[in-house]
Amino acid sequence: MVDWGMIANLAGGALTTLWISGVGIAVGVPLGLMLAMTRVSRVPVLSQAVAVFVSVMRATPVITLALFVYFGMSAMGLTLSPIVAALITLSVNTSAFHAEIWRASIMDFPQNQSEAATAFGMSRFQAFRLIVLPQAWRASLPPMVNEMTFLIKSSPAIAVIGVVDLTRTASRIAAYTYDPLPPYISAAIIYAVVVFSLVRIQRLIERMIVHRYGVL
Amino acid sequence: MPDDNNTGTPVLQVRSLVKSFGKLRVLDDVSITVDAGETVCIVGPSGSGKSTLLRCINLLEWPDSGEIYLRGERFGFRENDRSREVRMNDREMAHIRTRVGMVFQQFNLWPHLTAFGNITVSPIHVLKRPREEVEAEAEALLAKVGLQDKRDEYPIRLSGGQQQRVAIARALAMHPDVLLFDEPTSSLDPELVGEVLAVMKGLADEGRTMAVVTHEMVFAREAADYVVFMDGGRIVEAGTPEEFFSNPKTSRAQQFLERYR
Amino acid sequence: MIEHFARALTQWPLFLNGFFNTVWLCASTAIVSLILAMLLAVPLMSRLLTIRAASRFVVDSIRSVPFLLLAYMAYYCLPAIGISLSSWAAALITLVIYNTAYFAEILRGAWSHLPPQQEEGGRAFGFTGIRLFVHIIGPQLFIAAGPVLGNQMIQVIKDSAFLMVITIPELTFRANQVQSILFVPFETFIIAGCLYWILCNSVEWMVHRLERVAEMRRVR
Repeated sequence: MVDWGMIANLAGGALTTLWISGVGIAVGVPLGLMLAMTRVSRVPVLSQAVAVFVSVMRATPVITLALFVYFGMSAMGLTLSPIVAALITLSVNTSAFHAEIWRASIMDFPQNQSEAATAFGMSRFQAFRLIVLPQAWRASLPPMVNEMTFLIKSSPAIAVIGVVDLTRTASRIAAYTYDPLPPYISAAIIYAVVVFSLVRIQRLIERMIVHRYGVL
Repeated sequence: MPDDNNTGTPVLQVRSLVKSFGKLRVLDDVSITVDAGETVCIVGPSGSGKSTLLRCINLLEWPDSGEIYLRGERFGFRENDRSREVRMNDREMAHIRTRVGMVFQQFNLWPHLTAFGNITVSPIHVLKRPREEVEAEAEALLAKVGLQDKRDEYPIRLSGGQQQRVAIARALAMHPDVLLFDEPTSSLDPELVGEVLAVMKGLADEGRTMAVVTHEMVFAREAADYVVFMDGGRIVEAGTPEEFFSNPKTSRAQQFLERYR
Repeated sequence: MIEHFARALTQWPLFLNGFFNTVWLCASTAIVSLILAMLLAVPLMSRLLTIRAASRFVVDSIRSVPFLLLAYMAYYCLPAIGISLSSWAAALITLVIYNTAYFAEILRGAWSHLPPQQEEGGRAFGFTGIRLFVHIIGPQLFIAAGPVLGNQMIQVIKDSAFLMVITIPELTFRANQVQSILFVPFETFIIAGCLYWILCNSVEWMVHRLERVAEMRRVR
């Protein structure tokens, strides 16, 4: 009864979704940190530029951004393959959200701990590296994982610019079998499993952190 | 242990400190001297400026005017090449701050590090001392404050008294010239106060140079070499514990001590 | 580049049409979804485990599927089981179902944090059931969850862009149309981006205003 050929196809699409999303996250999180640090540092032109960038990114639909990157960049002379455009789109988009997440945990960092760090002779950079950052990333884990699930849920945007991800694979199968229900429902289940797992992992991590360090 | 070679120069000298927060003058021409090996207890009603004084010594707050000398060296300001007085930059200040140990009322331990980690992080990364040396000393300091079995515990699992003792070990690990205590037992449940005061008394008996802001009069009486009484931003009276507690000279000191009879 | 922008802007009627389609799609979704979400919040907070678990499962499932996939399913799968819909109907159904789940979860979250005295006070004065919700609990939920609901509104606006794939002529669709005619994609999508930015920030501004009003009325 089960169409293993279809499942295999969908698995291929799922893998594409996962690896592209994975790269997006791997680039977006540290990029977001750099943006947040720039923003918090209050360097004159740069921190305002970051603020504008973040504001614009957070208001732009991922699909619009994907079209902009894919078509817009080629008009500017830079021809990008759909996959590269997809990687850029997802990384850049998610970095804006991670920038806000990092910024929140860096900015409402308890002052008394920073004071202790200063009293012990740590420079601002040392205090950031040894005291603020280790706690900030642990405290940021829940909203970061949340943003990761959002990234995966907005990843079908890349199907529109030609990347054969899980959604596009499902569309293709539906198109040539004239039977849309199996591929789409299977794809939905696969996405749901991935997202559910991430949410589970997030809850586990949250509990572990509170258990070990208390509320950071 | 503080190795004070110039027995003439006081370890800490504060001259004519003035600090206002808005219209409120919190420190009004305060001067204080702490010699090597001395334990000075600063007492007074709330709002008398005691904590501000301590925080100014460590330059966590900048005084509006006045001078602070650490072993004869001006803290916070230096002369630039044009012989004019300029504020020290962060790096110069950081360097001097390592010589002033600070124990906070709220302990301020770093929650993502174990007790051991809290003690070792600054000597390793700020003082750049070799890791084995720092770790060996950290073990010894934990034993000294009676917490060797709590070495790998995170602050969340320690009681207030235990956290404060770790904070004291943490300050000692920096080999400071002077130790400042900002109401170290005020945030503790009464049962836990004793263990911290015992450690502090031990340090005083050892001959550490300490300045302690406290409400614990019994401790001040037993451990201090001299007592400073502040009220309204000024030093109203100062003297040995015997003089101050048995025979307060000013009426404000007398009123204050009434509460503790 | 300037003349590219000028060229793109000659198609301003298309941009405007797309903008307005986006606005009315999102506004109608918001209204309908919020009403349905209030209804869905009740079983989510039910004391009966079976009802709570069943509604929980439905909400979580909808929230773990990408919006675009859901749109495809409405557009392609529903006709396959006999329900034929226009693309507009499919679009609205997808938007409403998807966001009802999100809004319901937000309201449930706010409800679970509501002090029980509120409900008790309401019951003491004889409010029950729907009336209790409409007059006592509901308003408080909206005040408490205002910012989060506003955030979700912005998400609605961004998700609406996906509907271009089922040929709904909203803003991104129109922008894509313009760029395929005039070959100035860079400028076209920047214009679209600006319009989205204006739209999203208007929503945020409105939420801020409502928050201020709520602040003034909140009992200390």
